[in-house]
Amino acid sequence: MATETHCPYCSLQCGMRLTGRRTPEVSAWEEFPVNQGALCRKGWSAAGLYGSRERLTSPLVRDRATGEWSAVSWDEALDMVAAGIRAAQAERGPDGVAVFGGGGLTNEKAYSLGKLARAALGTSQIDYNGRWCMSSAASAGIRAFGLDRGLPFPLADVEETDVLVLVGSNLAETMPPAARHLDRLRERGGRVVVIDPRRTPTADRADLALQPVPGTDLALALGVLHLLVAAGAVDEDYLADRTTGWADVKESVAPWWPERVERTTGISAAEVRELAAMLAGSPRVMVLTARGAEQHSTGSDTVLAWINVALALGMVGTRGGGYGCLTGQGNGQGGREHGQKADQLPGYRRIDDPVARAHVAGVWGVDPESLPGPGRSAYELLEALGTDDGPSAMLVFGSNIVVSAPNATHVTQRLESLDLLVVCDFVMSETAAIADVVLPVTQWAEETGTMTNLEGRVVLRQKAITPPSGARSDLDVIAGLAVRLSSVPFATAPEEVFAELGRASAGGPADYSSITYDRIRDEGGVFWGGERLFGSSFAHPDGRARMYAVEHRGAAEQPCADYPLHLTTGRVLAQYQSGAQTRRVRALPDDGPFVELHPLVAGRIGVAHGEPVSISTRRGTMSAPARVVTTIRPDTVFVPFHWVGANRLTNDALDPASKMPEFKVCAARLSAVVVAG
Amino acid sequence: MTERVVIVGGGMAAVRLCEGLVGADVAVTVLADERHAPYNRILLSAVLEGTHSADALTLRSAAWFEEHGIELRLDTRVVEIDRTAREVELVDGERLGFDRLVLATGAIPTLPPIRGLVRRDGTLHPKVHPFRSLEDCRRLDASVTALLETPSPRAVVVGGGLLGLQVARALSVRGVLTEVVEGADHLLASQVGPAAGGVLARDLRRLGTEVYTGARAVRMTDDGVQLDNGATLPTDLVVLTAGGRPSTALARRAGLMVRRGVVVDSALASVTDDRIHALGDCAEHRRRTTGFVPPAWEQAEVLAQVLRGQEASYDGHRNVARLRATGLDVAVLGDAQTAAGEVVEVTNPITGSHRRLVVHGGRIVAAALVGDLSRVGLITQLYDRGTILGPDEPGQLLLPEAVDAPAALPDDAEVCACAGVTAGAIRACDSVAQCVDRTRATTGCGGCADVVRRLVGSAGVHRVPVG
Repeated sequence: MATETHCPYCSLQCGMRLTGRRTPEVSAWEEFPVNQGALCRKGWSAAGLYGSRERLTSPLVRDRATGEWSAVSWDEALDMVAAGIRAAQAERGPDGVAVFGGGGLTNEKAYSLGKLARAALGTSQIDYNGRWCMSSAASAGIRAFGLDRGLPFPLADVEETDVLVLVGSNLAETMPPAARHLDRLRERGGRVVVIDPRRTPTADRADLALQPVPGTDLALALGVLHLLVAAGAVDEDYLADRTTGWADVKESVAPWWPERVERTTGISAAEVRELAAMLAGSPRVMVLTARGAEQHSTGSDTVLAWINVALALGMVGTRGGGYGCLTGQGNGQGGREHGQKADQLPGYRRIDDPVARAHVAGVWGVDPESLPGPGRSAYELLEALGTDDGPSAMLVFGSNIVVSAPNATHVTQRLESLDLLVVCDFVMSETAAIADVVLPVTQWAEETGTMTNLEGRVVLRQKAITPPSGARSDLDVIAGLAVRLSSVPFATAPEEVFAELGRASAGGPADYSSITYDRIRDEGGVFWGGERLFGSSFAHPDGRARMYAVEHRGAAEQPCADYPLHLTTGRVLAQYQSGAQTRRVRALPDDGPFVELHPLVAGRIGVAHGEPVSISTRRGTMSAPARVVTTIRPDTVFVPFHWVGANRLTNDALDPASKMPEFKVCAARLSAVVVAG
Repeated sequence: MTERVVIVGGGMAAVRLCEGLVGADVAVTVLADERHAPYNRILLSAVLEGTHSADALTLRSAAWFEEHGIELRLDTRVVEIDRTAREVELVDGERLGFDRLVLATGAIPTLPPIRGLVRRDGTLHPKVHPFRSLEDCRRLDASVTALLETPSPRAVVVGGGLLGLQVARALSVRGVLTEVVEGADHLLASQVGPAAGGVLARDLRRLGTEVYTGARAVRMTDDGVQLDNGATLPTDLVVLTAGGRPSTALARRAGLMVRRGVVVDSALASVTDDRIHALGDCAEHRRRTTGFVPPAWEQAEVLAQVLRGQEASYDGHRNVARLRATGLDVAVLGDAQTAAGEVVEVTNPITGSHRRLVVHGGRIVAAALVGDLSRVGLITQLYDRGTILGPDEPGQLLLPEAVDAPAALPDDAEVCACAGVTAGAIRACDSVAQCVDRTRATTGCGGCADVVRRLVGSAGVHRVPVG
């Protein structure tokens, strides 16, 4: 008997079938509409983590003096954690303890985590790694449309557009089955544009591939809009009927003529014109952004600039056109809707909205006054750890901060300064390795829960096998702590938690109250808010989209004499996020990190393909073999972030609106590593 | 006490300065002599060509100035600066006090010494058009539109610099048979050398525009334009694009030091009177005047800080001059003719390209690219950022970009990244169906389907080129 479920990795949440009781076998689930049976090698090998010797099955406590781990019972571990929480809060007040969540957690866990923080711990100090994923697009979407749903239409709509513009997405490697839509689009005669400093496998499938200087996607959008205005290609009727703010935006692009864009972006004026002409001459245009455009200190403005392009063309809300964000993490969408974000309550409500507070407090059975206000954003929270007015204890769920945080050496020092660090994980991740208490939790296929994929489609991951004895669900951990902290009760059965989440979200922007496990099973997933959004109106009170005039500011850290190159980071196909899972799957190649650079730069520093190079920024240094390719801009180098190292280099400059760190660009220096002997 | 800042001029430098002063504790008045709100002057040739709508030129509308508390007075001419009283006098006699005065008066087109150009009453010959302002552009556009109703309309552009070539191409694209007259011995003489100028002349002729270099227009007759070599070019229109000179009359009369432009220090203040600043085309800094927007904007950003009372100084600039003309590709970085350094140069008159890099201390300090802008984006970045290059790089930058040649796939090369399948494993299959079944190749992103089709069943037949 096969169990229909979804892949443990990215936001595509490909459907798959699992058979076998101990070690599951993956097979195709052709009927699931998003991937129609297709999977990448991460999906095919997803069961490879079962039976791993590295699987944790007992709570572990680390002796700080000796660094030695010892196994303890669950009761001992939870008592110890509860005591640590009480001690921290006795000393520093409710905000003395922090909670850090993840965009890979199910909706049920994300919801319970937010409730744990607000209703049981009373702390405002909760945020999650999704802040580092698509928060810039979320911030821009809320401002422009009044609502943030990554794709406001099914992914398959991509096939219906005439020109698809992918800004900073390498979906052929990061979510391979999605690339099938590009091929079908092109078979239909549609065209694909890819904007990325690297000519990626996705760009190889494009009709036009533009390689801007990292951090200049915003200027390119301004330049495109400038040309659309100049050519009279904007939809004035649509702008008048459905938007506000156009006059300011129109004026703001007047100084962005193509040659100025060329000087800023490194894309020739001719190519800027080619892109604009393509957009001006097509009935349907779709713009999708991903991390390449968003993970910048100007990320939310960059997204707003591309949204302006889509709005000016009159595309948003039309079938086969518009704007969307390609969310990254498995539950990147749902994870940002149900309250593990510093400023949110379930249902994508704002925590500073009195009506929202009253509603959610009612569902939880607590006094609205008792709910804390907004807390610090993810990076700001980590920076505050162990400082005089920051938390001294932290609980981490579904996140490997030591690998994934920017300026990671500094962040690791902050983690080490805590009096108590608790990590829930199913392997000894780099973050778990520096914790005081590690709680072994169940993983994908051992538990049931819902995920909301990049289209806003709520899907059901179903339990297929029995977890190893000793592992407990995060939901059990949360409930166990709540009991010890004498708080309101927490449900542990996923379906029960989901029903409560539905009640808490009812009436909010992301309203799940009509969604049930049965409906999800019957309907191949359920879209919250409907399959397609914005057809006749946007979510602002006046029903109009808002256009914001945004300015190009560029990367926070520009190349200089000491650090003359741009460094950008990203993913490779065979690995996922911090690699805690994928690096432990034997069927996936783990060749370690590398430094991708152009032959011109290789010649400059005297290094050949495969030889070690050292790369340094103002924050750190790492060494890895050189991968010499002609597909990257010669003023830019690339390092994948799945291993410890890349994020020791990255810059912690934050986007003022979204608090997204600038993962995608900083200034770096390269040198050949002289091998002794 | 809020300082009163009076800006004389409403061009691109002035509007940038105003943007930089938003929110500052200063009362700003802009005295602009044109009737239009500040607009993007450098796109006028695109308006003439018909590729840019005139409505979309406005940089900042009157409403924007009002919203930000900046007084914008259009169609206003300043006749005198009274440095003692710290007042400016307008043409109607009104006097305005200032604490700081900014001269952003720009440049005025040079009238070449052509007999008959200016009539006895001081007006231009009716066929003659200057090309500096939106008004000029509109008038010329109207003339062109009218001329296009007549058989075989003709135009002569006097001046073969950047603006002249842009206007010539615009007229030509509109359908006017256009000729260019340039006094120097090659086109774009102030930016590029004879080889590059030759490439450009050839390109223009190919596009249907005749070019006369080393020839001066000396007389305007009813028949057309007479050149100093005796030839007369019959024409319906003459456009003057022979450059401009800094507009410095006000400054001169006020006793400020003026050489070619108003001489300013690193605070963009007149060396004669530190309450009076100048920027853009009318200013002269370290013996250089510019004529381009990017340095004017850099100056505006510095001056805005100065006027806000912040530490800032202007340290010269890097300029990139780009020709905006359909069918002609030119980029000039810095002073490509005069900059000191080693020159790496490739000229290919057969394909019509000329590229010159001037390298000093490993850095590109100037460059000229004509006819081949394939690496303009990169070269500009390297120039702007002063990147130190290796000894081979300048040469390699001028060679065709290296592209990885499609190689025969060795058996251990990964073909299907989604499923991790090598070429060898695919070759060992008899059919695509068998391959899918056995290896899952093509079942992920589908990108390898073509390669898989070509490889199946070719075991032993190695070195099959794929790509």
